[in-house]
Amino acid sequence: MSALGDLRRIKGSTRGSPQKRDNRTALAFLLPWFAGLGLITIGPIVASLVLGFTDYNLIQPPKFNGVDNFTRMLSDERLHQALGVTFTYVMVSVPLQLACALALAMLLDRGLRGLAFYRSAFYLPSLLGSSVAIAVLWRQIFGAEGLVNQLLALVGIEGRGWISDPSTALSTLIVLNVWTFGAPMIIFLAGLRQIPIMYYEAAAVDGASKWIMFWRVTLPLLSPIIFFNLVLQIIHAFQSFTQAFVVSGGSGGPSDSTLFYTLYLYHRGFNSFDMGYASALAWLLLMIIAALTAVNFWAAKYWVFYDD
Amino acid sequence: MTDLTNRLRGSALTDRPSGTAPPPQASRRRRWSVGWTRSAVKHLSLCLLALVMLYPVLWMVVSSLRPNNEIFRRPGLVLESLQTQNYADGWEALASPFGHYLFNSAIVVLGCIIGNLVSCSMAAYAFARLEFTGKRMWFAIMLGTIMLPIHVIIVPQYIFFSQLDWINTFLPLIVPKLLATDAFFVFLMVQFIRGLPRELDEAARIDGCGHWRIFLQIILPLMKPALATTVIFTFIWTWNDFFSQLIYLTDPDLYTVPVALRSFVDSTVATSWGSMFAMSVVSLMPVFLAFLLGQRYLVKGIATTGGK
Amino acid sequence: MRIFRTRRASGAVALALASALVLPACGSGGSNSDLELSDKPVTLRFTWWGSDARHERTQQVIDLFQKEHQNITVKGEFKDWNGYWESLATTVAANDAPDVIQMDELYLASYAERGALFDLATASKHLKTADFDPNALATGQVDGKQYAVPVGLTVYSMVVNTDLLAQYGAQLPDDSSWTWDDLKTIGDQISKASGGKVTGVQSWGFDAGGVNIWARQAGASLYDDTGNVVIPQDVLAGYWSYLADLAKTGIAPQPSVTIERASAGLDQSGTATNSSVFGTWWNTQLTSLTKASGQNLKLLKLPGEAQAKSPGAYYKPSMFWSVSSRSKYPAEAALFVDFLANSEAAANVLLTDRGVPANNKIRAMIASQLTETDKAAVAYLDSIKVGPAPRVTPNGASSIEAILKRHTEAVLFGRSTPDEAAAAFIKELQVEIDRA
Repeated sequence: MSALGDLRRIKGSTRGSPQKRDNRTALAFLLPWFAGLGLITIGPIVASLVLGFTDYNLIQPPKFNGVDNFTRMLSDERLHQALGVTFTYVMVSVPLQLACALALAMLLDRGLRGLAFYRSAFYLPSLLGSSVAIAVLWRQIFGAEGLVNQLLALVGIEGRGWISDPSTALSTLIVLNVWTFGAPMIIFLAGLRQIPIMYYEAAAVDGASKWIMFWRVTLPLLSPIIFFNLVLQIIHAFQSFTQAFVVSGGSGGPSDSTLFYTLYLYHRGFNSFDMGYASALAWLLLMIIAALTAVNFWAAKYWVFYDD
Repeated sequence: MTDLTNRLRGSALTDRPSGTAPPPQASRRRRWSVGWTRSAVKHLSLCLLALVMLYPVLWMVVSSLRPNNEIFRRPGLVLESLQTQNYADGWEALASPFGHYLFNSAIVVLGCIIGNLVSCSMAAYAFARLEFTGKRMWFAIMLGTIMLPIHVIIVPQYIFFSQLDWINTFLPLIVPKLLATDAFFVFLMVQFIRGLPRELDEAARIDGCGHWRIFLQIILPLMKPALATTVIFTFIWTWNDFFSQLIYLTDPDLYTVPVALRSFVDSTVATSWGSMFAMSVVSLMPVFLAFLLGQRYLVKGIATTGGK
Repeated sequence: MRIFRTRRASGAVALALASALVLPACGSGGSNSDLELSDKPVTLRFTWWGSDARHERTQQVIDLFQKEHQNITVKGEFKDWNGYWESLATTVAANDAPDVIQMDELYLASYAERGALFDLATASKHLKTADFDPNALATGQVDGKQYAVPVGLTVYSMVVNTDLLAQYGAQLPDDSSWTWDDLKTIGDQISKASGGKVTGVQSWGFDAGGVNIWARQAGASLYDDTGNVVIPQDVLAGYWSYLADLAKTGIAPQPSVTIERASAGLDQSGTATNSSVFGTWWNTQLTSLTKASGQNLKLLKLPGEAQAKSPGAYYKPSMFWSVSSRSKYPAEAALFVDFLANSEAAANVLLTDRGVPANNKIRAMIASQLTETDKAAVAYLDSIKVGPAPRVTPNGASSIEAILKRHTEAVLFGRSTPDEAAAAFIKELQVEIDRA
């Protein structure tokens, strides 16, 4: 462990070197971002917060109604259903997707013949994104006459319409999300490329096995990127909309089993002309995501390794 | 410029007694000594996985070559007749030839890529390398701006842009990117910059470099994987983004690919699925090409990892 | 082609917030116009939903109109169904709605009662409605004002695949007297004969048409005149029991298949893929269905009509033309709607794309040009005995089909009993209406 330990110590020694404040330079670097925040982002965000305290049907001017929208949430059963569905989706699909992405990225990072082909093949599904075609394609796999059932029929099992059965519909969407692991995979690949090879060489000198190298070198040095993917995928998964929208034909069905939070919010806002309530729902979602993100950042102190 | 980075890298990364470094050939030979069978098994399982991943995409390509009424009556990937009529039909099916929509999408994508590259990297540098007042707060605000679902932001934002008379231009789609409103990429680049060894900038600072020079000459070249990731993702996500393009572009002359593609489908009448799939395949081409070209830069990490 | 267009961006930030909250009051727009046609250049925005075939026909009609009225330019904005309503709601909220709007029955009252639509009767100088059947025209009225003109008419019908019927040795039922039980019997016969490969019936329960018919045959209705939900709980429960029975006995496919097909749209339905013999459809869908199926399909009257307390069948407007209340050019917009509704040249292009024309004169005029299946659809519409149309979907109830679909799914999967579903449905829909 000595060579690796040395390295760590060398790196560690530069930590916490005194920094003076660079407010003026920072302002220059952040100028576009501040402009965007002030001119474009903040206005609509504040507007949506204010609308959360109104009854607003999009056509007539909003009417202030105090905290009615928020008290209404307490007895809104479909909201509770949507929360349940969304939490399940986030908790299951994010770790699965990240694990797949990392595993494939590790596999494809090493000298493997046909690397470019595999990388493209695994990324291609993610290119389809939210295309309308997704709904049809997904039915070709998980539909009553889809690929899965044809394979099951080979071994004599009678399938069902997986997408349209309330007990399996959410699972197919989780698979759909995992299927598009391309984006985090690419980010992992880019991150793996940033790990200086000398760390591995140092570890090899110490006689570390591949497994040890993964735990002691790859994971710590990749941790900022893992952290990034984790935070962003959680935010992203909470806001999942398009795939559920496209696959269930916009309904969140069958029987609300794929009623994602944003899907419900969208229905309230655009189909039921209930934009005041939808805005309030959006802010509840913001609170939930912000809280989870804060927890993530707090926990990051214990496992994310920065070089500064 | 490369001189400088090389010199820096030399000082920071290989600053170890050279005697402890393993001879590179040794480790490489070890890696190549993986048995034939293991390699074959690996390729076979990867190919199988690729096939499963690609099945829906292949099905779409096959369907685009089938007559319309056969598409849903025949599952499977076997083509009995090959007909390219769908491509000709789909190309001319809407108000303008499909190339027009591809062109519109290309303009939007190009604008967004430039915007994200410039503005997000600047903001990211400030967050990753500069000390300034309220840094943590601004960072939290930045993350917070992507936590609200677009559906409640879009109405106030639309009103704002329509006051500017920007509806039916590409400005509402591009200008926000020029102003670093895409926090995803800011955060992504922050994580990458934080992963770069600090010694590099410190050495440069000792050489008398200011922040702009460090940013332009050291950090930017070193974060090529992150920049490539940004380009690819911006390309794909903008290319597929339906909602904001639908809302801001109401004039069919300005329609982009996703908006055009959706207007093929109407679930209450017979839809020209063949044409829709054909145009989906056509619209997949540019993103796929972008990915194929872009991935070369993804794998070219910083020079120290070139040995892999 | 214009790519960028800019005007001053003064006070933009303040405006963003302010305008989101202090939107202009409704119904005031357009009042400054004297409803005279202008001879200066006028640009109208016209929006509709549909598939590529409809976009093409509609563009042809726009060209014809522009040729007749040189100073008027019509910009067509085509969308898909879902995108259409998002976009419309957003543009209306921003006081930027298109001038001429294709409207659906579900949303008509929601827009009209909130003042987003223009009373077309005030533009009767430019928009003639004399050739419309008064009953049909009434479907476009809300609170006594003509906010919309019906485009086409449709009737709920039973589509039967006669080829499959013959293949499994079943007789074509006599649709002048058949009952819902007869449908079960013959459906069962087919499901058994095919060994389950083809089901007798394709289940329904996902659109407002089916439940309206069921209620009307029982002498009830979904809403009363004031727009409250009045369908008796036991009638609605009976509806769902019937559908649940179809699935349970194998007359209809298993629930997951039914729901999958329902959300997949016409091309992948049991009727279109020749995997169900009977299915409920709007009569004008016959042409699309026949094209997809490739076999012989026939329209039958609905079961139970002979025994019904009152006729279940009714003319449903396929869609409407309406004009935004904030249009700067209501006179020109009305003139364009007049062209769409009354012009023979336009009708020759549109034919039955938006339903069998509600304009009687036009319907007679295009009759000879129609395809066989379209002729059958028109003949069916003319032959059927209908009752007065149900009340327009009340303001707030635009999501009725989504609510209906959800409860049908719950019943089919046994997650609620028909009785529970009926009680929950009535309560939920009423809350939506009260809230609006």
